[in-house]
Amino acid sequence: MPTTPDLQAARASSRISVLSLSVPVAMGYVPLGMVFGFLFVLSGAPWWLAICTSVFVFAGAAQFMMVPMLAAGLPLASIALATLVVNLRHIFYGLSLLDKLPVKPGPRWYLIFALTDETYSVLTTLPPGTSTRQMVTVALLNQGWWVLGTLLGALIGSQAQMPLVGLDFALAALFAVLAVEQWRQAHSVAPLWVAVLSYALAWVLMPQQALLIAIGLSVATGLLWRQPAAAEVTP
Amino acid sequence: MIDIPYAIGAIVVMAVVTFGLRALPFLAARFLRNNPLVQHLGRFLPLAIMTLLLLHTLVSSARQNLSGPWQELLAVLTVLALQWWKKHPLLSILTGTALYVLLRNWGR
Repeated sequence: MPTTPDLQAARASSRISVLSLSVPVAMGYVPLGMVFGFLFVLSGAPWWLAICTSVFVFAGAAQFMMVPMLAAGLPLASIALATLVVNLRHIFYGLSLLDKLPVKPGPRWYLIFALTDETYSVLTTLPPGTSTRQMVTVALLNQGWWVLGTLLGALIGSQAQMPLVGLDFALAALFAVLAVEQWRQAHSVAPLWVAVLSYALAWVLMPQQALLIAIGLSVATGLLWRQPAAAEVTP
Repeated sequence: MIDIPYAIGAIVVMAVVTFGLRALPFLAARFLRNNPLVQHLGRFLPLAIMTLLLLHTLVSSARQNLSGPWQELLAVLTVLALQWWKKHPLLSILTGTALYVLLRNWGR
């Protein structure tokens, strides 16, 4: 589409366009990072651990899931399993970026590390031929917004000594939003009912470990649940 | 208070698992692309897991609230409906949380 002079103009303004791609991400990441930092500190952890989580884990939904799990003192193996399940979708992000990421090891592995839902969607919208530096800049900016939000939220959380009852409902609201978006994309509503029934059963069996048991039951059901359409894909 | 070595352990475990998942396709692309079970789970699990996390946080809030589950239900239905129509995560989260805080603090 762009002719040669356009291409040069595009190169000149590339820094601005990379920044403008990161702005919508900032609008999501700063407030959500704040909610994470706030809830993390409110659950009794020091502020710098919230920062460490956002720097080294950098996974939105999994970090939110971590708050109730840490508070409940679940074993590390359960936390690992839950992280695996929540982030399983990231495998498919990588699959669609296999040929797109730079070959140079440093930038390549940082981009793989930083492959959140939002960074993935930004990287896939970049035009072919985008420089390595621009890709890394977008990813670094995105993580920067996330860490900044976490810091702000953690500082507010450690100042306020539980100002209002019920602020932690933000976590439930976030999960509700994510569930609605998953539902919109889902091929069937079966996973929703499987989850509801699993949770009800787990609650009857062992209320203290309901989440863990329900995750196990849902994964097991997912493994056994073969829709007719899935059978024909077998190689 | 959360035990700090335990929390650091959790961060390390989560960082390793998350990075492992993100790196896996670059190490085992062919296997994953052709494995129907992996693709099936990738379609099935996300909605199930989000539903579970939602249920679990709701049940936990409701258990600590003497005024019963009605406040949680009202707030979460507001979030679900707003998100379904408006598709604006921040608006849904802020409205739902504000409503819940109002109900909890002044709604008796």
